Amino acid sequence: MHKRNRLFVSIALVYGLLGGLIAIVRLIDPSLIPGNVPRAHGHIMLLGFILMMIYGIALHVLPRFGGFPLYSEPMADWQLYCANAGLPLMIAGWLGWRDMLVMAGGVLTYGAIVLFGLNMILTVRTKSRTLPVQ
Amino acid sequence: MKIELIVSGCCPFCLEAEKVWRAAAADHGCEFSVMDISRAEGAALAQRLKLQTVPALLIDGTLRAVGVQTPEEALTLLQPQRQEAHDRMQQMGLGFSPDNRWFILAAQAYLMLAGLGLLMNGSFLSDDAARPAFLHLFTLGFMLFMIYGLASHMLPRFTGNPIREGAWSWLQMGLAHGGVIGYAVGYLAGWPTLIVVGAVLAWLSLAVFAYRVWPVLWPTAS
Repeated sequence: MHKRNRLFVSIALVYGLLGGLIAIVRLIDPSLIPGNVPRAHGHIMLLGFILMMIYGIALHVLPRFGGFPLYSEPMADWQLYCANAGLPLMIAGWLGWRDMLVMAGGVLTYGAIVLFGLNMILTVRTKSRTLPVQ
Repeated sequence: MKIELIVSGCCPFCLEAEKVWRAAAADHGCEFSVMDISRAEGAALAQRLKLQTVPALLIDGTLRAVGVQTPEEALTLLQPQRQEAHDRMQQMGLGFSPDNRWFILAAQAYLMLAGLGLLMNGSFLSDDAARPAFLHLFTLGFMLFMIYGLASHMLPRFTGNPIREGAWSWLQMGLAHGGVIGYAVGYLAGWPTLIVVGAVLAWLSLAVFAYRVWPVLWPTAS
């Protein structure tokens, strides 16, 4: 498994634990963490835990299942950078009530989503490389 | 599978046995070696096994036969080991282990429970007090359990590294069930303490999952 894909899965676990932890802290005492905590929790879990887990596993299996090598390794690398630059900015924006940070983080996160989507479309393709049996 | 043939340089039958077993080992992908009792290593082995005659055959270190075998007899002798190797491969195959099977099955049950929110509230993300219960039945109950089952199954196969199994996976499952049920029931019944307990249990299940999966991803670091 490529190191980048293992990083995606590992970072997903870290975000999952972080997102769960801030939700628990908020349940115990809502005043302990400032900002829009429910929104930060929701996005940490969905974009940080679920999506990065999917990124890591899909980048590994979809090329194999599709029968073609990954279209672009640099695109997947930049996807990792964008996703992990974007989400912390969004979290900082929500917890610090800074809309500009949320917007900047959102753009980077969306950039990662587009990079992943295009890379997968160009990797999986509509037709198999397998030749018909004569 | 390892096949060892103990021979003697002055034994005319040993050459014939070597031909048979070399061919059988090649056919079945077995490791094959010949040891001469005139050498120290072969003599020590023959003494340990109390051998009275050569050629002698060892399969995976166990004395299985003496004398010269035909190719058919060789196949018969290899059969139990081949079956054992096949059984081991089945355990390492694509089928779910029992714990992962239960994770996947439980995920479907939670999905159906989460779907009840659609019927009861008219929307999956309603604005009433029960929203977190059904939302988390979907996210914690369905999505998280699917990740638990599929990731625990696939990641060891992707990386070639073993995952912590046994009590750890069942502990993770118990914590996750307690977490999801506690959280949902807490919201539906209006018991804040149960909500917190459920959230903590769900978080602990994720911590156990991370503990199990980390050495799969980073074997040297662990």
